[in-house]
Amino acid sequence: MQEEKRQEFRKALRDVKNLPTLPGVVIKLSKMAEDPETTTEQMGKVISKDHILAAKLLKLVNSAFYGFPQRISSLSSAIILLGFNVIKSLIISASIFELMEDNDVELWEHSLGCAVVCSVLAKRMEISDPEEISTAGLIHDIGKVAIKMELPEEYQNIQNLVEEQQMPMREAEMEILGLNHAEVGGWLAKTWNLPGKLVEPVALHHDPNKAKLEKEATAIVHFADILIRGMGYGHGSDVWVPALRNKAWKLLDLAPADMDEILDEVEEKLWEVKGFSLDVKTEFEGAA
Amino acid sequence: MSRILVAGKNNLISPEDQVIFEARDYQLVFTKDPHEAVSIILEDPPDFLVTEIGFGDDDLQIINTVKGCLQKANMPILLVLPKDVSPILDWKQFSVDDIIIEPYDTETLLARIQLAESRMIRVFDNNPLSRLPGNTSIIRAIKRTLESDDISGVCYLDLDNFKPYNDRYGFSQGDDIILMVARVAVNVVGELARENSFVGHVGGDDFVVIVPEEKVEVVCQKILANFETVRNMFLTSEDVKAGCYRAKDRQGRDTVYGLLSLSIAVVLSKREKFKHYGEVSAAASQVKHMGKKLDGCNYMIDRRDSYKPNVESSPS
Repeated sequence: MQEEKRQEFRKALRDVKNLPTLPGVVIKLSKMAEDPETTTEQMGKVISKDHILAAKLLKLVNSAFYGFPQRISSLSSAIILLGFNVIKSLIISASIFELMEDNDVELWEHSLGCAVVCSVLAKRMEISDPEEISTAGLIHDIGKVAIKMELPEEYQNIQNLVEEQQMPMREAEMEILGLNHAEVGGWLAKTWNLPGKLVEPVALHHDPNKAKLEKEATAIVHFADILIRGMGYGHGSDVWVPALRNKAWKLLDLAPADMDEILDEVEEKLWEVKGFSLDVKTEFEGAA
Repeated sequence: MSRILVAGKNNLISPEDQVIFEARDYQLVFTKDPHEAVSIILEDPPDFLVTEIGFGDDDLQIINTVKGCLQKANMPILLVLPKDVSPILDWKQFSVDDIIIEPYDTETLLARIQLAESRMIRVFDNNPLSRLPGNTSIIRAIKRTLESDDISGVCYLDLDNFKPYNDRYGFSQGDDIILMVARVAVNVVGELARENSFVGHVGGDDFVVIVPEEKVEVVCQKILANFETVRNMFLTSEDVKAGCYRAKDRQGRDTVYGLLSLSIAVVLSKREKFKHYGEVSAAASQVKHMGKKLDGCNYMIDRRDSYKPNVESSPS
């Protein structure tokens, strides 16, 4: 019975079509698209601050139709290959949240913050393509949005469990669905033909020990998720900080003294992000 | 089977007539929502588009979605016009393939669709891989540039170390590289030099880009920068880290190869300099031989005032 139900959820989640974006982001991008002075890079910069649009862009560039399946793992490459016109069309076709809840904004901020931490860590560890890791960090919780949109009733039950039982989100997901958002995000990334470099960190961000090919990237996303929650910038629909896996921590090879520098650097980068998030919120209020 | 997207507020094809199309092996997809239409064109592109004027945020939204994107520029569009509106439109803007005026019968519509399809195949000079215009169009474009009063830069793009790349990564990945260069070039030209420009695919790893003289430098720089950003997605991280790789050359000798790079040789279309379009490509290959001596991605503009053919044929 349990397995049957799991299959049913699986199917519903796999068919997810158009994940909604925050209205403020879409309004901002639509304005930019109309301005002839806007460059592709400027559009790309805004898109790389939104987990939903970023995922869509990666899905598009890795689709069989555009010709680069399982190949493109960084947003700047995706933007170069798709070009201004396709990006503009992507924005026109973006759907927005009909009812925007605080949780949606919190998750958006959390995803963005996680990407910032990933980028700081990846650069520090001298990873060959740090943007790849921050892209993985940006979309790591995409499964949560899919669950919310495709299984609204179950999502409500999960929320209730989180609030009433003070239970972390992914435990509540296991209880109600028999699967968790990381797993869901992993499937989505896989069905969308995203490269393995992104699939594994998304699928295993709570279980970095299971990573086979992308151990380093998975460990970074795992730790970045925890760090940004600890710093209190956005959250993933519950407010608790998940446990840090020892093996992943060792792999990162960071001394406690490094943390001061990392935190300073993240704080500094978050300023820009916070400015943007304020911008997006006023954009929305201005239009409403 | 061809898929036709029927996008309009009105019933452009009545649902009862769907069987007529199905009998001819056409599958119809209907939408009345312009945003959904854009999303279908983008994510699940049909083979043919039937739409009507006045559909979308503006008249051109849907048309531009199709024509603005290289991979779909060949998708024929049939535009439906109401009876009481003048059918004289600016066809440069409305880059559709045919129009039909209301009211029309289904048989006529079907005939128009089939005609547009077969016409598309007839004028197909495009490269099957990149879908960019091929040699006939390239020659025409160069001739046009030489006849014009405005000077353009005729830019010849080609990849260095492409053969060893194919040997190491396989031909299918080699094709991906070609496709990648095509996208990079088209998108840069589309953004920086939309007017009076041209992108064509000679074949293999050779491309021709034509842009107005004043845009040559920015376009070349941007193409090379974008190529370098994307290139690493097509290499293993070990090769990227090493910056080169060892392989046997065709004579079986151990050789160190550089990673893929892109060179651009530019010839300015000065009328007094060239008598014949063939001389343009000959001048470019002279420039190219100089360019190949430089390492990595580079571009070189031929600023010589006159063209001298290579008299002695070089032994190769």
